[in-house]
Amino acid sequence: MALTVRAEQLQPLPAEVRARKGRKKLSASARREERTGFALIAPAIVVVAVFILFPLGFCVYISLTNWPLVGPYHFIGFANYSALVHNSTFLQSVVFTLKYTAIVTLPILVIGYLLALFVRGNRFGATLFRTCMFLPFIVGITTLSFLAEVELQPGFGTVNVVLSDLHILSRGTVWVQSSTLALIAISVLVVWMASGLTMMLLMAGMQGISDELYESAGVDGASWWEKERFVTIPLLRRSIALSLIISVVGSFLAFNQFYIITDGGPGTSTVSVVMEIYETFNTAMRVGGASAMAVVLIAVVGIITLVQFKVLRGEDV
Amino acid sequence: MSSSTALAVPPRRRGGGSLYFTAGILISAVFVLPLAWEILRSFQPASAIISPPSLKSFSHLGLGNYRQLLTGQDDILRNVVNSLIVAFATSLLTSIVATLAGYGFGRFRFRGSGIAFAVVLVGFMVPFQAVLTPLFLEMHYLHLLNSLIGLALFYTAFNLPFGIYVMRNTFLQVPGELVDAAKVDGASTMSTLTRVLRAIVMPGIATTFLYAFLFAWTEFLGALTFVTSGTTYTLPVALSNVETNTYGAVNYGYLVAGAVIAMIPCILVYVALQRYYVRGLVSGAVKG
Repeated sequence: MALTVRAEQLQPLPAEVRARKGRKKLSASARREERTGFALIAPAIVVVAVFILFPLGFCVYISLTNWPLVGPYHFIGFANYSALVHNSTFLQSVVFTLKYTAIVTLPILVIGYLLALFVRGNRFGATLFRTCMFLPFIVGITTLSFLAEVELQPGFGTVNVVLSDLHILSRGTVWVQSSTLALIAISVLVVWMASGLTMMLLMAGMQGISDELYESAGVDGASWWEKERFVTIPLLRRSIALSLIISVVGSFLAFNQFYIITDGGPGTSTVSVVMEIYETFNTAMRVGGASAMAVVLIAVVGIITLVQFKVLRGEDV
Repeated sequence: MSSSTALAVPPRRRGGGSLYFTAGILISAVFVLPLAWEILRSFQPASAIISPPSLKSFSHLGLGNYRQLLTGQDDILRNVVNSLIVAFATSLLTSIVATLAGYGFGRFRFRGSGIAFAVVLVGFMVPFQAVLTPLFLEMHYLHLLNSLIGLALFYTAFNLPFGIYVMRNTFLQVPGELVDAAKVDGASTMSTLTRVLRAIVMPGIATTFLYAFLFAWTEFLGALTFVTSGTTYTLPVALSNVETNTYGAVNYGYLVAGAVIAMIPCILVYVALQRYYVRGLVSGAVKG
């Protein structure tokens, strides 16, 4: 299985490296190898340290202060964090983001799985279909959100015109005036876009399953469903976990579609967590408060990503 | 589909080919037709876009939106160029830095490499969406706000962990004898990389480049945060300004044509290089 092969390479470097740590003297060539190796990774480490690690530490630091945009600041302990518990717009954004995640995750997985079943073989056209189904993901949620914005307009938006011709909605429906309708529209858009990614991830896993397993199951008289149930799904557990993690993290970090299509409205009913952080910093300029929210988000996403690495390393979750 | 037991069936069934193909076309249409529809819409005059679609509203297709968008008063040509600069700078920088680092991690033994790789993995776990506030303050201090270089450096940093991961795996797969032979021949570290290993690691570089390009071309939130002047806007930010036009009615013709301009490079680059994209997916280190 492709994923396992790569996962072995994630293991730490060979034991010789560790063994050498104890030795004081290195041969000239080994010293040169040390220097060269270090020089090769140095640029990458500098960029990652400056633009990821430092901001990460800085974020925690700021979150413990009453950081103003100008002037001195003071440490205020965990006051920014305890304020979050009483911050109703933040709590609303957390609830909304969880609700949105709960709505889109299962459809993305199920549709992605069915699509993967459809395109996994070498049948004529499968490669073309795969490419087509993946295109919305490649185009990306930002561009798609601008287009959805146009097509959800009352009166002339294609979605409104088609749905009114089917007698489902009136042509004048203003999607963004109702938080329920807005959430439905954005969820359909995201499921349509993201199921292609799940399809690709699961298909890669399915192609790693040996034909012999299916053949011997066939010899034992297994039906199509039994082959799926007892061969594909168990062997695909790791790929399924991976695609679930990627889609849940993606939902937790959602911003573009809400900012572009609803701008958080009506009111603040469709403000996601990332959008709330953005607004707290950019509009309200509460740097400490925004940082405290960010630290909470980083912790949650970090834990989920750690699980992703465990999955990659092949440990059971 | 499953009632093919009457005949002696080879392991890969060929039967039902046309049924499969028809179903495939129909399912694919669900994903492609909306995109094709928008491309068609972008050729409609703005006045036709805001009237309900009918056969008549497609009678005057033309390049009007594009002409206005790229040469008109508030043109976005500048923003398209900005996006291209940032996307190419990001993907070049990411590819170079990740290739060097992948070479170092995959082929050299040195003290601290374990810690350094842990740093990379931590970088992988930090979502850029969450550290924009401290980054804004830091980039303000470094004079990197409102700067395409600043934006490209930020994008590079967040693409590096994936790139390094891909390149390290790529270099680990290079047969050791090849590197040793080059050493015996007296090749230096860099000439080993650029001459002996180039062909072998090219697919890894293509994967890294492609992901970085697509990321930088479509990224919105970071650009919205770090760029506040119109001349430095990237394409998505410029489009969000078209959308929230404060001067009056939104020009939906602009918006559709601009979105199509944003869409086309993604599709072209992906279709041309998709096997490299799939390599990245299989590595499992993808973010959604």
